[in-house]
Amino acid sequence: MASTTMADRTVAGFEPARLALVLGGLVFLVMMLLGLLMKASQADLLPLDPRLFYEIMTAHGIGMVGTAGLTGIGILWHFLGRHVTLDERAFWAFLGLFLSGVVLILGAIFLGGSAAAWTFLYPLPAVSGGVWSPNVAVLYLAGLALVGVGFLLVHLECARALRAAWGGLGRALAWPLLFRGRQDPVPPPTVVAAAAVTIFDLLGLVFGAAVILISILEILLAGVGLDPLVAKNMIYFFGHVFINATIYMAVIAVYEIVPDYTGRRWKTSRVFAGAWSVVLLFVMAVYPHHLLQDTVMPAWALVAGQVLSYGSAVPLVAVTTLGLLSYLYRSGARLDLSASLLVLGVAGWTAGVMPAWIDGIVAVNKVMHNTLWVPGHFHMYLILGQVAMVWGTLSWLAHGRNVAGLSGGDRLLLGSYVVGGAGLTLGFLVAGAASVPRRWAVHEPSWIVHDLPAVFFAILVLVGAAGFFLRALPGLLTAAGATREAG
Amino acid sequence: MQEIVLVLSLAAIAAVAVAFLAVLRRLEPAAGGGGPTGSVDALRGRILWGAVIAGAAIAVATLLPWPHAVPAGPGVVPVHVRASMWAWELDRVELPIGVPVVFHATSTDVNHGFGVFDPGGRLLFQTQAMPGWVNKVAWTFTEPGRYRVLCLEYCGLAHHGMMAEFEVRGTS
Repeated sequence: MASTTMADRTVAGFEPARLALVLGGLVFLVMMLLGLLMKASQADLLPLDPRLFYEIMTAHGIGMVGTAGLTGIGILWHFLGRHVTLDERAFWAFLGLFLSGVVLILGAIFLGGSAAAWTFLYPLPAVSGGVWSPNVAVLYLAGLALVGVGFLLVHLECARALRAAWGGLGRALAWPLLFRGRQDPVPPPTVVAAAAVTIFDLLGLVFGAAVILISILEILLAGVGLDPLVAKNMIYFFGHVFINATIYMAVIAVYEIVPDYTGRRWKTSRVFAGAWSVVLLFVMAVYPHHLLQDTVMPAWALVAGQVLSYGSAVPLVAVTTLGLLSYLYRSGARLDLSASLLVLGVAGWTAGVMPAWIDGIVAVNKVMHNTLWVPGHFHMYLILGQVAMVWGTLSWLAHGRNVAGLSGGDRLLLGSYVVGGAGLTLGFLVAGAASVPRRWAVHEPSWIVHDLPAVFFAILVLVGAAGFFLRALPGLLTAAGATREAG
Repeated sequence: MQEIVLVLSLAAIAAVAVAFLAVLRRLEPAAGGGGPTGSVDALRGRILWGAVIAGAAIAVATLLPWPHAVPAGPGVVPVHVRASMWAWELDRVELPIGVPVVFHATSTDVNHGFGVFDPGGRLLFQTQAMPGWVNKVAWTFTEPGRYRVLCLEYCGLAHHGMMAEFEVRGTS
């Protein structure tokens, strides 16, 4: 199968996926700082001008989503390279496009004043009420397009490599095992997960690129006439698929690293293969749960959004969560910081899914949509889920497995991060239940009671995250760090 | 509604936390060695079937009657809502108690969120106000007082200032 793996190549030079993860870790810290600034402003501790607040909000949103994508694809690329032969040039090209896009986006936000939120909900980027010019909107959308093309490129290379190694994406998804009961050899979990993510993220990115291109044409050639409801469907299809892909890519680190601790190899069973095929379909089909308050949508689409929203949580709980717990149980594993963060990542993801699917119930959504309930659940499965998996991966890449387990310092950092993350996200949920709207630069006095503790918990998250990153950085940057895993 | 949702969510989150903590307290190898492979498959089967049955029950209980159903007829009070950056226009600002009111929400520019808050600051219902489309949402008010409309979809620089009020009069 693979004659040369990515891990082998780290001996000769700096692996681009590792660079992506290091950059991602750094940007996560900056984005968390921006989040803290927004909470401090809402708490009236450090009031920001609303224009600056919304610029920061846009940067925080697009920065977090983009960095979750960057780190997710870094994890996928790094570990998929153990199983198939990938052309590294595709990842370098992706990094170039990604960083070029980031320059345009940051320029549009902080020089041009664009503050359309990361969802760029058409026709908002173009129609700004005179706050920023249409050219700035084009710049912002062009930056998004560059980033998207970068992801398209790297996923196409993954698809090519998977087909070359396994004779087709269906075989990489373990469909012979799933439908006929046997396959030899059986693709490892990383290959199954990578194949599913590659397919749905490619489709999401195509829709995202299409709506961005049409939006740009609408600005440059007024009168193209994109229907706002069609645009909303396309944007939420892309956005939902993309952010979910970041988590499904990060979980590959759990499949690859946790067996080092448990001594139990993660296996591809028929149930595992079936669950990933269900994920492949549901991740794409469930997006109408973002449009539950658009009553002009066909009722069947909204019903599907509710039902599939619930259904998409089932494969996660029944396969990945239960699988991890069963592999850990009585395994003799001695968890160090890396493994603890990876386990936390699956726990946080699972926990965050609970309020998310409850919000996917039409009647509940009517009183919870666009309140702080929404950032409550997505911050939970990002801070305590995807991002925790990234910190765990960075720590493992830097230091490998620490047979001594958790040190006192590790416990302090972990405690700060977990208490901060849980406090912040549960606080968001409580505020959402109290009907506090999301994305408001200025909070009413009665809402500030929710913001003050959030500032404290956000500081705890930032302290923990900065500690994880700074402790891993020297190992990540040294040649020893780069070669240790290849050995 | 909000309190029930919060309690159910916190319970589900707590259940996840308890499951992880229970396993993390049992990492040391069992005397006989090996893991709980057989029992996991049985547990997974129970979870899957339990989830399917619970999901069907939740779907029926929450989708019937259809939450977005809008009544029609002579007794229904229509209110036309037009959103523009950054203000609301309602063609009625006094509404009756005990009569179905149907809000017809649209926008002249970008997407806005038409959220109605009761006098105590509790969100009662919402719908999107979108250019080119009219979303309808029905509500029967049971308490008099001044109700507020806040924008719940980010719409630009003065999003947080996009508010309106209407009065509900009558006896409950």
